Amino acid sequence: MLKDQTMSVVLDGSPLKAMQSSHTHTPQTALSAQELSQEIKSFISGFDSVQGRKLNVREHARCAVRLLRSVPACRGAVLEHLRGVYDEHVSAFLHNLETESDASSGVSSNLEDIIQEVHGVLSEFIRLNPRAWAPLVSAWAVDLLGQLSSKHAGRRVAPHSSSLNELLQLWMSCAATRSLMEAYSQCLAAMLAWYYHQPSLGMWLKDFCSHGAKDTGLMAMGVDKGSRVPKIGSVVGILGHLAVHHSDSIRKELLRMFQESLCPSSPLSPTSSSTSWESSPQLRRAAVPFLLQLAAMSPNLFGAVSAELVELLRPPVLVQLQAVLQGIPREELDNMLGLAVHLISQSPSGGSRVLRFLADTATPASVIISGPTPSPHEGVREGCDRLLQMLLLHLHKLVFNRSEGAEVNPHRSASSQPQRVIPFLAELQSHVGELCAETLRLERKRHLWLHQLLCLLSVYGGPSVATEALCQLLTQAHNPEELALAWQLHTTLSSCIAGLIPAAVTRCVAQIHTHTLGTRQLTQLLLNMAAAIQSQDEERRGASGVQSSMAIQVGSAVSGHLHDFGPLLLHGDPNVSHAVVRLLSCSPLPRASSPAHLLLLCRAAVTHFFLALRRRGEGGKLGRDGGQACEEVNCSVLLLSRFAAYSSLTLKALLQQLVEGALHKGNAGLFGGQIADMSGAPLPSKSVSPDIGASLLDINCRFGTTVNFSGSVWSVFHAGVIGKGLKVRTEAQLTDPSGVMQNVQTLLAVVVQCCSSSGLNGSRLPSDPDEPLPINAEAAKVVAVTMVENVCPDVANGELSWPPEEHARTTVERDIHIRRCFEAHPVLFPLLQVVAAGRPALCYCSAVLRGLLATLLAHWEASRELLSTDSPWHLQASCLLVSCMGEGQLLPPVLANVHETFPHLTPFELRLLLLAVWEYVRGNGPMPQKFVFNSEKGLFCRDFSRDGDVARYVAPIHSVLHKNIDRLGHLCWRFQL
Amino acid sequence: MGDIRQSLLPRDVLSAAKELLYHLDIYISNMVQSGRQPPQVDSKTQELVEEFILHAPKDRNTPARRMSALQELQLLEIMCSCFQEQSRDTVRQLMFSALFGLQGNQADESRMALLGKLVSMAIAVGRVPILECAATWLQRTYRVYCVRLAQVLVDDYCSLVPGSGPTLQNIHSASPRFCCQFITAVTMLYDLTTEELTPPLELLQMIVSWIQDDPRLVLINFLNTPISGNHPVNSMDVTPLGGLMRWCIKAPLAYSRDKKQALTNGSTASEPEVGPLFSALHLSVLQVLMLLPNILNEKGLFGRLALLKMESLASLTSDLSRLLDQADKHAPSTDTPALPQLALDRLAQALQVSMANRALLCSREDLRAICSRLPHNNLLQLVLSGPVMYYSPISPAMAFSPRASHSPIASHPTHPAHPPTHTSTHTPTCTHTPLLSVPRSAFHDGGAFPLQTQPLTQTM
Repeated sequence: MLKDQTMSVVLDGSPLKAMQSSHTHTPQTALSAQELSQEIKSFISGFDSVQGRKLNVREHARCAVRLLRSVPACRGAVLEHLRGVYDEHVSAFLHNLETESDASSGVSSNLEDIIQEVHGVLSEFIRLNPRAWAPLVSAWAVDLLGQLSSKHAGRRVAPHSSSLNELLQLWMSCAATRSLMEAYSQCLAAMLAWYYHQPSLGMWLKDFCSHGAKDTGLMAMGVDKGSRVPKIGSVVGILGHLAVHHSDSIRKELLRMFQESLCPSSPLSPTSSSTSWESSPQLRRAAVPFLLQLAAMSPNLFGAVSAELVELLRPPVLVQLQAVLQGIPREELDNMLGLAVHLISQSPSGGSRVLRFLADTATPASVIISGPTPSPHEGVREGCDRLLQMLLLHLHKLVFNRSEGAEVNPHRSASSQPQRVIPFLAELQSHVGELCAETLRLERKRHLWLHQLLCLLSVYGGPSVATEALCQLLTQAHNPEELALAWQLHTTLSSCIAGLIPAAVTRCVAQIHTHTLGTRQLTQLLLNMAAAIQSQDEERRGASGVQSSMAIQVGSAVSGHLHDFGPLLLHGDPNVSHAVVRLLSCSPLPRASSPAHLLLLCRAAVTHFFLALRRRGEGGKLGRDGGQACEEVNCSVLLLSRFAAYSSLTLKALLQQLVEGALHKGNAGLFGGQIADMSGAPLPSKSVSPDIGASLLDINCRFGTTVNFSGSVWSVFHAGVIGKGLKVRTEAQLTDPSGVMQNVQTLLAVVVQCCSSSGLNGSRLPSDPDEPLPINAEAAKVVAVTMVENVCPDVANGELSWPPEEHARTTVERDIHIRRCFEAHPVLFPLLQVVAAGRPALCYCSAVLRGLLATLLAHWEASRELLSTDSPWHLQASCLLVSCMGEGQLLPPVLANVHETFPHLTPFELRLLLLAVWEYVRGNGPMPQKFVFNSEKGLFCRDFSRDGDVARYVAPIHSVLHKNIDRLGHLCWRFQL
Repeated sequence: MGDIRQSLLPRDVLSAAKELLYHLDIYISNMVQSGRQPPQVDSKTQELVEEFILHAPKDRNTPARRMSALQELQLLEIMCSCFQEQSRDTVRQLMFSALFGLQGNQADESRMALLGKLVSMAIAVGRVPILECAATWLQRTYRVYCVRLAQVLVDDYCSLVPGSGPTLQNIHSASPRFCCQFITAVTMLYDLTTEELTPPLELLQMIVSWIQDDPRLVLINFLNTPISGNHPVNSMDVTPLGGLMRWCIKAPLAYSRDKKQALTNGSTASEPEVGPLFSALHLSVLQVLMLLPNILNEKGLFGRLALLKMESLASLTSDLSRLLDQADKHAPSTDTPALPQLALDRLAQALQVSMANRALLCSREDLRAICSRLPHNNLLQLVLSGPVMYYSPISPAMAFSPRASHSPIASHPTHPAHPPTHTSTHTPTCTHTPLLSVPRSAFHDGGAFPLQTQPLTQTM
């Protein structure tokens, strides 16, 4: 009998249509009340009491269908019973597939005809009264479909749920599920057609249906031409197709549907019909999940809706939405959330807006200050919170599963297995900067979420995005807490992305080169990097942590780019240069670096040093940001000393440039110097200067007097123009003595530090740590030579030994030049002292010393003053000169001590003593080879006993002492041999 | 009875419900036999019913047990046979009210749902006792819930299951009482204000045929009910007369509006004209009103019980004036000026007949106040001005008629000499003149009605 029925169905060809037509036209045979009652009994018991036997599945189902058609109150029970029938069919179908047996043979429960019958009845009902039946049947069908597919998901023949197409094909090939899907899509079509009763949209739908046949692409979507009953997906297909061409209208309609589904209608209103869409809470509740489902199935629709949905979600709407969603069972709600999360993660555009919306709603600006928008409902807030967390979790899964796959097959992933794209993250990649900025605002939970998102984004986007993110964080962080976010990011990423920090630093450097950063950002970036490196030092002192390794990494990365930072030292903005010097002063120096880079860095560092000094002076004067300027100077000093210690090359370059800089016209003022007119030419008077180019004749006339004869036998001294009085001296610039003092001290400190650093001759640890390191001879020699070159280039590399005193007459002009130089640059004396300390370097200054001494001798000889103290500068110069020579061991101690008597003497007596000095030096030339290295002291020392007898040079001293024994008696012991 | 809860708890949902029904039956039988007064089910039992039959959540901690749809159907089937087999009316009634009497608590929702299914099923399988019980239930329950029950039945039989209409038709013969109450509820449910609140055509046809077949059906509930003071507030009217009257009066305007909307919506569904149906219905209503004096006299209630309430009349006229305004606004010069006039004519006829038959107890002054906002209609004018005193100088109190000078009657003093005609020979359908004849006969066949013998101002 079963066979027969199956056969008849097969032979029928199109059983569905046959069923439909038969059911619509043949009026059912009306059953009497008794029969119905009997029918209900047998339906319930599954036992036919008339025939006295048990009903089989088919008969039972037929009975159910009869009840469905005649007893309205039974419909719930009937639909429930049919679930079992459908389930049985699906099980049989799958079992058939699994056993690979022929579908028509050996199936005991081929219920296809019954399924067709049920389908016919249902579709007839839907057609006759869509308002009442469509929601009911669609809910039932979808629920049953879900139940069936989840029940049979684990079956061998069921393809994995990821391949939606295969799954669909499988279910479409099974009569039961196909019938369900068709019923469902019929319901959807009915609901939609009824819902959009606007003529325009209806027209489109019709239009589409008639033209759809031509469109092969849409044929594939399964539009059934003849019956106008769209098969599965065709609702989506139609709408999707419409969305392509009329996206505006479709969007409007869908959004309207969404909005209207939220508008609360009066609950329990007895007069309203329960079949109305708007007033049925169930249907309104179903609208949101339906829209989500629709969006999930069609990218086109999704694109159309997603763009504006976020704008729509204003607080009142959210409250409504929440109210509607509250009615949905938990499980369903979870599914919906999951779907929403999936959709967000797949949305190709507007991701940042969605994100901002979620974050804003989840963490309202403040509970107390509600801001421009009223603070949303607590439930809404929690909902967004939850949604956001689920989104993050979902993205996390997506990202890490994806990269896991890539790791397993690193060589294949690139070619055969393209990495799965996550549109949400892909879109956010271009918003990394904004994300970073948001994250750095450190707002409660929000920055945690965003931080997590940044991590995911970085992992997703690979090194380039990670670098970008880190770079942005480094640039935008303003304080240690914010900077800590960067390190957290790095810590999380370091496990999956290697070489992140060097890449980030390189990127930063590239940004610097391209001038894409403003000065403020630049400053911040540099300061942040400095802070990062400095944290390393702190780590060493305190607790060790993750940061230390990172600090080391940053340090080494920065050190590789030192030469890129160098030019920034001279940046126009003081803040930038300050930041750079801080960074450079704390960053380690590269192990190997090209000399060219090093020299450039040295030059920049020295120039910056003087700039910093100048800024400190200005700051002190104006009383602003003195702290920063001082710190800048300190950093600069530190930087210079580090450079100096790096190699002999840098040391020499530094010292040379320091001395040159100190004596440079522009910087002279810093150290109390004046710009001396070495040429002796008259300065153009103020009145003349405006019309300087007036007359060539005038200039030519004056040419004769402006020729520079200095250094030659011809000496022209310009003392002034006859009739106009003496030449006007350049007016002394007003200098701040304390500032000068400070500057000189700083310079000396730098020079001494440079000279005493152990860069030159290997490590030489001092025996006593408190004792300052000795001045390095080589370094001192560099200073000496540079000084000589700058003070008087003529005598550089000249003869070291001294001629007789009379010969000084031939070098009067040169000597005067030297003296003027010393007058103009008070800093020369301290420098000389430094040189003297680095024995035997003072020897190389011999010519300068000689010139100075010659002019002093001439001065004292010509002086008609009563006391030497009447010429204060000369007295001071004499004292300093002699003491320096003594320190430099050009003179034996006995002679060196004479300067102590100078202030008490008359000019003549002073000259006598200076002459004695001269004589000694002439007799015992200042030769470096006379110095022997004393390994105990770590210094070069001169053994005066090898030189000639000192006694004869001491005689004038003794005479002078004798003469002034009343005043100088206390000094006599200083001159004992 | 409360002690059986423990034995019910471990059972499965269905058998617990069955068991409880069984015990309830015994309990109520005992109660009736012992003659305890008043025969009422105690609250313990009520709680048991709510817990094990209606499955209302007892408290928040225990999740409500639920029946599957199949189990529910079995329960309904059991209930059907249970009520069927119970021979004593009192027990049956008590049981029904124990199960479905509204308690004003959370369980009422499931109570209503179950009741809807039970009655629907009883209609399908023709369980008369249940319908009788339901009729009593309808009489005692707030009208909001009655309307909900009617809604369920209409949905089931007129929209959900095609071709099931005839089954509903049978309730007329099965339980006239229920049928009468059902009509009352339906007229309240569909008040013709919107398209959705318009009765399905099938239902309308059914009701018209019921009343045409047996006009006394409308009054059956009134006839069988002792008029007592314990009539609950906000329950339904005793008769569907008011609701039917409202239908007939509003129908011309409501349907013309719906038709217009349907035309603009482009739907070209050609439904059979409802006009004749309402005309027939109107006639039937008037006929039923004419039956009233005898019945009232039998009951001794003549002139003492107003079957039509003044308030509902007031709301009807205000609705009507609103509808007329709308009709004016939407179509100031349509081709159907007759429709508003038809509505007003029907109002006038209904007013006159019900007043004459003492179904409506009020003075013409009151009527004028109510109808003051309605547009002009000759017949209405006539009814409102009442019997002109020139022709019935019996009561001097009526000599003063403020509208006498404007009255159309005043200008046509010869008209009252129209020969009386019997109303039943006319079908009050379309033309003016035959319609006019109804009240005229009512006026002037004075002997048949006590109109002139009692002062009009007298009220209860």
